[in-house]
Amino acid sequence: MSTPRRWPAPSHPLQLILGLSLWSLWFVVLYGGLSVACEMAPPEPSRGVFTAHNATLGLLSLATLGLLLWLAWSCLSASRRQEGVACYLSMVSAGLHLFSGGGVVVVGLPLLMLPPCL
Amino acid sequence: MLHRELELAWGSPAGLRGMLTVVNHGTLGLRFMVTGLVFFLLGGVLAMLVRTQLAFPDQDFMSPDVYSQVTTMHGTVMMFLFAIPVLEGLAIYLIPKMIGTRDLACPRLTAFGYWCYLFGGIILFSSLLLDMAPDSGWFMYTPLSSGEYSPGSGSDFWLLGITFVEISALSAGVELTVSILRTRASGMALHRMPLFAWYILAMALMIVVGFPPLILGSVLLELERAVGMPFFAVAGGGDPVLWQHLFWLFGHPEVYIIFLPAAGIVSTLIPVFAGRPMVGYGWIVASILITGFISFGLWVHHMFTVGIPQLAQAFFSAASMLVAVPTAIQVFVWLTTLWLGRPRMTLPMLWVLGFLVIFVCGGLTGVMLALVPFNWQVHDTHFVVAHMHYVLVGGMFFPLMAGLYYWLPLVTGRMPSESLGRLGFWLTFSGFNLTFLIMHWTGLLGMPRRIASYESAMGWDIYNLISSVGGFMMSAGIAVVLLDLALHGRFGRLAPRNPWCADTLEWAVATPPTSYTFASLPQVTSRHPLWEFPQLGESIRLGEHERAGAPHGRRELLGTDPLTGRVREIIHLPGNSVWPLAAALVLAVVCISLLVRLYPLALVAFVVAACMLLRWSWENGAHASATPLGDNEPSDPALHSRTPDGPGRWTMGVALLADGAFFLSLLFGWCYLWTVSPQWRMPDVSPLSLPMMIASGLALTLAASWLGRRCRAIVAGREEGLARAFAGIAALGGVHLLLLLTLAVQAALAPTDSAHDAVLWVGLAYLLVHATLATVLMLLQARRAALGLVSARLPFEPGVVLLFWRYHTGAYWILVAAIGVLPRVLGANA
Repeated sequence: MSTPRRWPAPSHPLQLILGLSLWSLWFVVLYGGLSVACEMAPPEPSRGVFTAHNATLGLLSLATLGLLLWLAWSCLSASRRQEGVACYLSMVSAGLHLFSGGGVVVVGLPLLMLPPCL
Repeated sequence: MLHRELELAWGSPAGLRGMLTVVNHGTLGLRFMVTGLVFFLLGGVLAMLVRTQLAFPDQDFMSPDVYSQVTTMHGTVMMFLFAIPVLEGLAIYLIPKMIGTRDLACPRLTAFGYWCYLFGGIILFSSLLLDMAPDSGWFMYTPLSSGEYSPGSGSDFWLLGITFVEISALSAGVELTVSILRTRASGMALHRMPLFAWYILAMALMIVVGFPPLILGSVLLELERAVGMPFFAVAGGGDPVLWQHLFWLFGHPEVYIIFLPAAGIVSTLIPVFAGRPMVGYGWIVASILITGFISFGLWVHHMFTVGIPQLAQAFFSAASMLVAVPTAIQVFVWLTTLWLGRPRMTLPMLWVLGFLVIFVCGGLTGVMLALVPFNWQVHDTHFVVAHMHYVLVGGMFFPLMAGLYYWLPLVTGRMPSESLGRLGFWLTFSGFNLTFLIMHWTGLLGMPRRIASYESAMGWDIYNLISSVGGFMMSAGIAVVLLDLALHGRFGRLAPRNPWCADTLEWAVATPPTSYTFASLPQVTSRHPLWEFPQLGESIRLGEHERAGAPHGRRELLGTDPLTGRVREIIHLPGNSVWPLAAALVLAVVCISLLVRLYPLALVAFVVAACMLLRWSWENGAHASATPLGDNEPSDPALHSRTPDGPGRWTMGVALLADGAFFLSLLFGWCYLWTVSPQWRMPDVSPLSLPMMIASGLALTLAASWLGRRCRAIVAGREEGLARAFAGIAALGGVHLLLLLTLAVQAALAPTDSAHDAVLWVGLAYLLVHATLATVLMLLQARRAALGLVSARLPFEPGVVLLFWRYHTGAYWILVAAIGVLPRVLGANA
């Protein structure tokens, strides 16, 4: 059994925390960015959800989602070629990336529904 | 012969000396648990006082002031002095046995953590006896806990005592992480690790990252109370909501820090009593990791009523519901395992089933509370108190009891009483639900928490009376359990080896376990070693595996690869030591001096404690009292201090994670106050000299880079001029320190006048402490190199120190950017 350790190989143990770390980073930027933006440049309340704030954070969320889905796909396809601990790590990492992507969708969904600073 | 050798190497001297210097995980794990049990009983008495007060309307059994002290101390004792330490104790006791090693990787740290816990707990609890206990609630919200509204010493007892106890939690977090990653049995790859170890690994890392925000908050609040730095006072440019952020950044992960090890107990017991492997091992591992991360993204759901934009509330509401998913995955995996197995309804399983019922109910009310409108309605009512107890008692206490009954035969060699145990369970289970199920309704009827009495006209009488009766019934149940524990040592039948037919390695050791745990170290080839080889315990006892005996007199473990479990080195551990006790004692003096505001004494004691800790670190590696160089040293694998890697390096790395979490919390505080605080005043011209900051940083960067080059040279076998080079690096560190000190003096900050200057002061103090420590460590390395304790044959220690230097360099430049450059770029009115 050979275990690829070169970063960012799909079976690298840090893959176990990569997707969730990306989710955490995205979450911090989402909440922190919104708070700072609302403090510095609050949009007109009458504009509802159609604001630069929602759009910027929405695009960021889509980019994060895309990255997470790509990571999940690369881990999943690598797991089919591996065995032992490498297969295990790739498989679990794929699941974690997928869950993190789901987390981006669920937490980011209110961007489509609520104005940013009210 | 084999066992006598091992006992000579691992045993503790008899009498008081042995008691005070012991570093063995078995003894210290039990001490943690017994001390936690004592605090649990004290906290339980406080709970009964509360229920007595609330049993009837218009009671004056306690004055409102005393009632506030009792409720605050009940929450504080249960969370900080019982739940976390007991679970840490359980982990400290079990993890080495489960992962097939002889002790934790940092045994003196275990002892230090225990003494800090004991002294911190005593200091904190003594406040109640002195009638000056904290009374601002267990979360100590400002401004209620600030000097203006809590002028006595109560808040100081809380802030200093809890910070002291948190040193213990961090110690356990660091060493459990390193032990699980680096000292597992040969062949125990990550995918063969017992699930309990996965849970403890997550808990330990969450402690490392989750506790520092509260430590920072406590430091800031104590500075505000002691010298008037206005971090949380609006008039001075601070903001009381910052405390809530810092507290709940710790406080919400704390719930999962408590839940995860308890769930680890459940995940260990269910396969054993179902008689089959866990269905979906990978699902459980993924759930643990998801819980560990997502739980850090929920803290604002405790603050929905403070005035946060709806969109931000929606983020946290969604994240709060998201965390239910991994928990639900675990529940379904447990149920499926039971469904597909042949469950045995033993006493431990009774407590597991009690856990499932109560915790699922608590989880569901948690999802209700994640909904913002509902949260607003029941905020600060008894509904929240009931939910919290369903989650914490159901999620932690019931599994703990299950684990206690399960592992009791391992600890004492005797079985508990089935009849007393069942009576204890049913009394506790019924009493608990009577108390807290009813309390949900009391809360929905609008009864606020933390009120000392209520009028009969409110209509809460009967519900409170039922809750109080239930509370006393639960106490009776716990008393029966305690009676069972007390009697079983005398009357319990002798336990056979592996009485539950378990699969994990802790049942392969002697009952009760010996000081050296394993006479020889087994190789692991599956997730269920004892199901695969039921006679493994006997072959271990006969010394048929690795590292049997201890003819050299050293305490040895195998250091293994964190991923594959392949053996990398032999880790030699230090023996019994008085340093952990001495250092903790002096830190207790620091704590008490700060309480009574004898600051010069506190400073002296702090310096003495630092010297003791450095002296402790001196007795390492090839030191005469550790493992001096010899002719017949093992080479394949080598002793860890003869390699560039080893547990100390990992310990430093994990400790720096905690340091980094503290640092990031400080940065968060700076950005938060700058952005949100209504009366924040950014001066037109920064008081910090940018050229001075850059000059100091260049000296530091040059030194760190020089150290990096020397470390690579040592590993490559080049050791000429080592002591001189290290002295030169220390001198550059001294230049950096001197420039930093000059910068701080030149800035002429007024930290008691504005939060801006106060944060700068704390930031500079943080850098100064690190710069001093980095320089001192380098000087010690220079001395050790001169004495031949660091060389090409002994390349280990500089690598550990290098990690610290690199961390400090990174933190320095980030802080310079945040407090020195950013205000200049964005301007005073940003």
